[in-house]
Amino acid sequence: MSTIKELARDVKGSMGIFDGKDESLYGVLAEFRHPGALLEAARSVREAGFKRFDVHSPFPIHGMDRAMGLGNSLVGWLTVGGGIAGMALGVWLQWWTSAVDYPINISGKPFFAIEPSIPVIFELTILLAALSTVIGMFALNGLPRPYNPLFYSDRFRKVTDDGFFLHIAASDRRFDLESTQKLLRDLGATHIETIRDSGTADAEA
Amino acid sequence: MSNPVRSSNPLVWLFDPLQPTGAQAEHAFRPVGGPMGWLIPLGIGVAALAMTLVGWVTSPQQFYFSWLVAWVFSLSVTIGGLFFVLIQHLTRARWSVVVRRIPEALIWSFPLLAILGIPVVFGMHDLYHWTHHELIDPASPEFDPVLAGKAAYLNVPFFLGRLVFYFLVWSYLAFRLYTLSVRQDVDGDPEITVKLRRTSAWGIAVTAITTAFAAFDLLMSLDPHWFSTIFGVYFFGGSFGAVMAFMIFTARLFQRRGMLRQTISTEHYQDLGKLMFGFVVFWAYIAFSQYMLIWYGNLPEETVWYRHRLEHGWEYNSAALLALHFVFPFVVLISRWAKRLLPLLTFMAVFMLVMHWFDLHWIAMPVLHEHAAFHLLDFSALVGIGGVWLGLVYFRLSRHGLVPQRDPRLGMSLGFMNS
Repeated sequence: MSTIKELARDVKGSMGIFDGKDESLYGVLAEFRHPGALLEAARSVREAGFKRFDVHSPFPIHGMDRAMGLGNSLVGWLTVGGGIAGMALGVWLQWWTSAVDYPINISGKPFFAIEPSIPVIFELTILLAALSTVIGMFALNGLPRPYNPLFYSDRFRKVTDDGFFLHIAASDRRFDLESTQKLLRDLGATHIETIRDSGTADAEA
Repeated sequence: MSNPVRSSNPLVWLFDPLQPTGAQAEHAFRPVGGPMGWLIPLGIGVAALAMTLVGWVTSPQQFYFSWLVAWVFSLSVTIGGLFFVLIQHLTRARWSVVVRRIPEALIWSFPLLAILGIPVVFGMHDLYHWTHHELIDPASPEFDPVLAGKAAYLNVPFFLGRLVFYFLVWSYLAFRLYTLSVRQDVDGDPEITVKLRRTSAWGIAVTAITTAFAAFDLLMSLDPHWFSTIFGVYFFGGSFGAVMAFMIFTARLFQRRGMLRQTISTEHYQDLGKLMFGFVVFWAYIAFSQYMLIWYGNLPEETVWYRHRLEHGWEYNSAALLALHFVFPFVVLISRWAKRLLPLLTFMAVFMLVMHWFDLHWIAMPVLHEHAAFHLLDFSALVGIGGVWLGLVYFRLSRHGLVPQRDPRLGMSLGFMNS
């Protein structure tokens, strides 16, 4: 049971949904002055061995993927899966409708031929590939997600304007409230808050 | 306004209209390695051309067809290069500045190709069935009402006039795009970037129309009963993919010879690879669009073109075209890592150039041979025209900076990253 729970935590963690360690502690949120500092902090936090952390900024930051140690997105595999499914559906649809269910002789052409079927097969391939890409992208990002304990922090509202934040989840194996806060302070965080899932945020510095 | 780059003397003008400026280039962009880089392909080309000319005497009709395929091959890659440069200026592309000099040097091949096209004019009677006068003479037993109906367009004076017009337009555009860019290397005038963009605005429209009609004239009219309105797009798709392959191959070759090593990075190759992959797909999309409509319409004067290419051994060429011009490169190039693995990408670039020639051979040669065949002259003409053409592209590259070094967007190109 506990391994399944742990697996579910890992999967959710990969989507950026971090379960709290216990009811009271969700993680620490640190604010940095500018994108460069955030990039450096993300690199250092990864090098310190943290796995469950995320960064939040008003705009995409170049090189952040590498700094955070994010690999290639898995969404490409979902695209391939959707594409193959769409292709199979297209072949079946063309064959079944025109050669099995309702065969009509049109100027002596074969009931099922590959030439006129390709547009349908192609379009269904693209349609399902595109849909699985979009849906897969949302799923892998853990979206839509209307609730996030980080919203308890008033300061976090700046993230849509001029705030650059790094959040380390309490569920990370290396997480320890004191040492994690110290690490973030050493990395140059201007403000550090402890986020509690109960609905409060304590400013520490 | 004084021009800081002097014109070269009239003998060299055809090969490079500008005096060398390579010595003024920054160290990292300076051509090195001596003249062997262009003398070797040029020498091989001249030798192969001499061999090919023997074929003019022994089997003239084969010679004309082989020559046409090889000449259109070089011409199509050059046209692809013209499109590439025009698009970069129009979109104010940043990523491509470090690789732009390669197609810029490529496009001044148009005057040379105009000269190399002379045998096609001499061979028109053998190449183009519609030039036979008895076909449009109502009194003749050979009278062909279809070709008589097309005679207003398919007649020798208009055909030659169109070819001259295409080459004048392409050469003028190439002259502006090439010489202005080299001039900017020296005087750094930012106005030149604006001028190049203005030229590209009308240039791309004119190039699109002339390319389509050149494809109709040079290749489609080989089988004058047949017609396909998408044929020009098909020709463009193959050409643009081929010029991507040409740029990847040339950039790698120059890097192996010790140039541009710190300039063109895996990021640029990945983008060139993306475009090559994209045009593998685009070519297949257009090829299929052409085939499917003709299959559906099932009109004899249209289907006969595919009929020729699906019997007497040509069916293997058609299958090879589908498998090797689309399926194989599609599977290989779709992954990100494949476009960043430079030995693999370079192999695919050379492979796609070979397949582009194979495609043109497949279009032209069934008109001459009922049974599928390759002739020695096909290869000697390709090596001959291709070698001379390539050698002179590399000759131009050896005389100027290898990068438009004072382009305002060069910095962004040097630092370009794929996210």
